[in-house]
Amino acid sequence: MRQLVIEAWKNRELIWALAVKELRVRYKRSALGFLWALLNPLLMMLILTMVFSAVMRVPVHDYPIFLISTLLPWTFFSQSLAYSADSIVSNGELLKKVYVSKSVFPIAAVVSNLINFFLSMIPLVLLLVIFRFPFYWTWLYLLIPLISLILFTLGCSFFFSMVNVFFRDMSHILQVVLQAWFYFCPIIYSLDFVPARYRMLFRLNPLLYPLNGFRLAIYYGLLPTAQSMAVSLVCGIMALVIGYGLFRRSQDMLVFYV
Amino acid sequence: MSRVGAISGSQRIYFQQVVERFRLIQERPDTLREAFAHLFRNRVSYHDFEALKGISFVISEGETVAIVGRNGSGKSTILKIIAGVYRPTAGLVKVSGKVSALIELGAGFHPDLTGRENIILNGLLLGLSRQEIRSREQKILDFAELGEFIDSPVKQYSSGMYARLGFAVATEVDPDVLLIDEILAVGDAPFQEKCLAKIDEFRERGKTIVFVSHDLDAVRRLCPRALLIHEGVLRLDGSTDQVLAEYEGVLQQISA
Repeated sequence: MRQLVIEAWKNRELIWALAVKELRVRYKRSALGFLWALLNPLLMMLILTMVFSAVMRVPVHDYPIFLISTLLPWTFFSQSLAYSADSIVSNGELLKKVYVSKSVFPIAAVVSNLINFFLSMIPLVLLLVIFRFPFYWTWLYLLIPLISLILFTLGCSFFFSMVNVFFRDMSHILQVVLQAWFYFCPIIYSLDFVPARYRMLFRLNPLLYPLNGFRLAIYYGLLPTAQSMAVSLVCGIMALVIGYGLFRRSQDMLVFYV
Repeated sequence: MSRVGAISGSQRIYFQQVVERFRLIQERPDTLREAFAHLFRNRVSYHDFEALKGISFVISEGETVAIVGRNGSGKSTILKIIAGVYRPTAGLVKVSGKVSALIELGAGFHPDLTGRENIILNGLLLGLSRQEIRSREQKILDFAELGEFIDSPVKQYSSGMYARLGFAVATEVDPDVLLIDEILAVGDAPFQEKCLAKIDEFRERGKTIVFVSHDLDAVRRLCPRALLIHEGVLRLDGSTDQVLAEYEGVLQQISA
């Protein structure tokens, strides 16, 4: 783990440049450019709100805010994974010619999506203003679910970027897994909707804790229990230790398989 | 293996019994389906290929050494091991000092970014800091001679422009060890002259250069010493004249 911190710090300028490049390339030559980072979550929210609030009548007040408070962190997670899964493979030609720390590519994928995430907080704030929704002081606490989520995302990103080199199926499997995971997380619903006897199953989902942290702080203005905070941090740290551990073990092999 | 380890005196590159084994790529299970298929068929369906079969040599500070040999003899593999791209399967490798590899010019350029943006990205990839790049940018621009193209995306560049920019960035890294792999084949005569002049400048400054080329005139001009690699084995290590004579013998054997 110390290795990771040292490597990331040593390569911080490169990671930042790669992350910015990623965003630049993503939005380059589109007429709206960076505005898409703001529009995308808004449109997504609009669609889901129409389906679940207007059509299916989920009994939740201010549904758009209920939804977006967990949709944004989820989008950060899922996009980071989708990008990092290809990050080593798509830089394969480079890795064969220049010596670079392999870890910079998944980290840069996460960082670029983190920038995107912060940009997407702007429409969230706008939405709160439009709905005259209060800004709770619990916003201050968001740092903890955010850190947990980043650690967890990094761990998964290391894992998938590495596995995808050996088994290219992984990027396809990942799409399905993410789709299923989206419905398994309390994003369009909350845990109260789940019948009590299944709730235990849902509690096994490590993403539940950081996502709930976001919703509690933004939508309910409540703090999660200390236990829940601890679980979310522990899950994040464990994911990173395992994901990076596996990545490190095989990083010298990657260049032969890309 | 330690990439940068204790290395005696003026030695820059130290290879002892280095073996590099590859698993041949078409045989490896690329997808889960194939992996399962292999699991059930229960037979070994890959075979290993030894690109280097125990190679030993030492290159000292300030030397300019050529590596010659036929295609596929293992020359580029040696450079990639020195550069740290490949890990040797067995043997000991020590390299001291900063290494810059001109294995492919402009590897890592992003087609959609401009020349200027790519200078920064590529410089960072090669291990420079942002500040170092900024202070060297003018020299890079001067060498690359791209004019107004510097602010256009590099996908619009001609291959010569691409090569010039790649060479300019890689040599501005100011390495202690410069690895050059057959890159002078691209670009026109004036560009080649410029590159050779740059390489001469490196030599005069006492840098270590490893030069892989099929251009035997360039080898004669630049390198007093040469290594002949044949089918993964170091066949001869000696003065360039001696080695090239032997190499011509090898080539004749094959065509005869």
